[in-house]
Amino acid sequence: MRQTAGTLNRTWLAILGILVLVAGVAVLLQATGILQNVLQTPLRGAKIVTGGLHPFFAQQWLVILFLAVGIIVGVLALLWIIAQIPRKNLAETYRLQQPGAQGRTTCDPSVLADVVVHQINTLPGVVASSALLRGTADEPDLTLKVTVNDEADVRALLRHLESTTFMELSTALETPVIKRRVQIDVSARNQNSGTVTQSGGIVLQ
Amino acid sequence: MSRNDGRSSRLRRRPSRTVPAIVVGIVLLAASVALAWASIARLIDGTWSTLLLGLRDWLVGLHWDDPSLWIIGIVAVVVGVVLLLCALIPGAFSALTVRNATARADADAQEHEHTAAERETVMTRRAVAHLARAQCVKLDGVGTASATASNKRVHLKVDTSLRETDDLRIRVIEDVRDRLNTTGLDPLPRITATIETTG
Repeated sequence: MRQTAGTLNRTWLAILGILVLVAGVAVLLQATGILQNVLQTPLRGAKIVTGGLHPFFAQQWLVILFLAVGIIVGVLALLWIIAQIPRKNLAETYRLQQPGAQGRTTCDPSVLADVVVHQINTLPGVVASSALLRGTADEPDLTLKVTVNDEADVRALLRHLESTTFMELSTALETPVIKRRVQIDVSARNQNSGTVTQSGGIVLQ
Repeated sequence: MSRNDGRSSRLRRRPSRTVPAIVVGIVLLAASVALAWASIARLIDGTWSTLLLGLRDWLVGLHWDDPSLWIIGIVAVVVGVVLLLCALIPGAFSALTVRNATARADADAQEHEHTAAERETVMTRRAVAHLARAQCVKLDGVGTASATASNKRVHLKVDTSLRETDDLRIRVIEDVRDRLNTTGLDPLPRITATIETTG
């Protein structure tokens, strides 16, 4: 239902992974002396820092550079963490307008979604449901999550959605709802209206 | 950022790698805050923090073949490989595909490939496992049952008081397969069962 930052995560993990891996391999190659043979780097027994670091650390531009790097990396890291919050990315208000018409009808997609949910919740075996409408009034994009109990007839439910729920939504929007996704979940809970009962029995011997 | 083009994304998707992303994000954020704080303190006081001074002194005394550098190199290689694996391993799909409800919907999907990509019905792996378990415990002879589901396989673990379990295993597998087939899972996952006699 909600959208996550999968592509962003994999891209940044790959970039950082390559950087860290290359750095680690370079350090190991230098420590073993292999890099010195290939690229004429310092000898493996040599000091990493030749000379003192005091004058280097005393330079003003280094402070500014550290500050800038700290702020830039910090902001990017914060944005990356915030991007992990799953988003609904709901549609804006639908504006229904016929060519040549005098007026225009506006409709909040959440109202339509509520109607869809209300209708689905009355179907046999449905425990709960939620609906998200994205896209535009011309190209609506419906995502449904329907939780049913384990006795529900899923095929009958899907047929009902196909023949009634989607059709009625199409009628309301005056355009076919071509883009639709349905996620079925199963719960041990019973429907509020109650369709599943546990029967007791007596065994006579 | 997450997708924000006003369109729905597929419900049957690979893992988003949220946990490694959050861990790396927090590490980067902590390091950058420490660096920025040390820089601001240097601008105000005129002295570097003792943390950075310690790092400076450690670097001055370090040789390229120092054991600590070996450890840093090995740790970096391991971390790099782990991050790359997180990025490159696709991971299992979160849900199983369910057939379209009507023959007309199937025909529509076959006629328009772009429509098929935007019209999907799925059942989560947890839901499939729950359904399989619920069907299993209805069978005569089954005491308790648990089920796990992947994209290609549903495994049931059944406890029974029966001594002969071969017949029960066949009944469990066939019954659960029928139920999942009736539900419309396509492709149908392979059903396996382990029966244990208790008591």
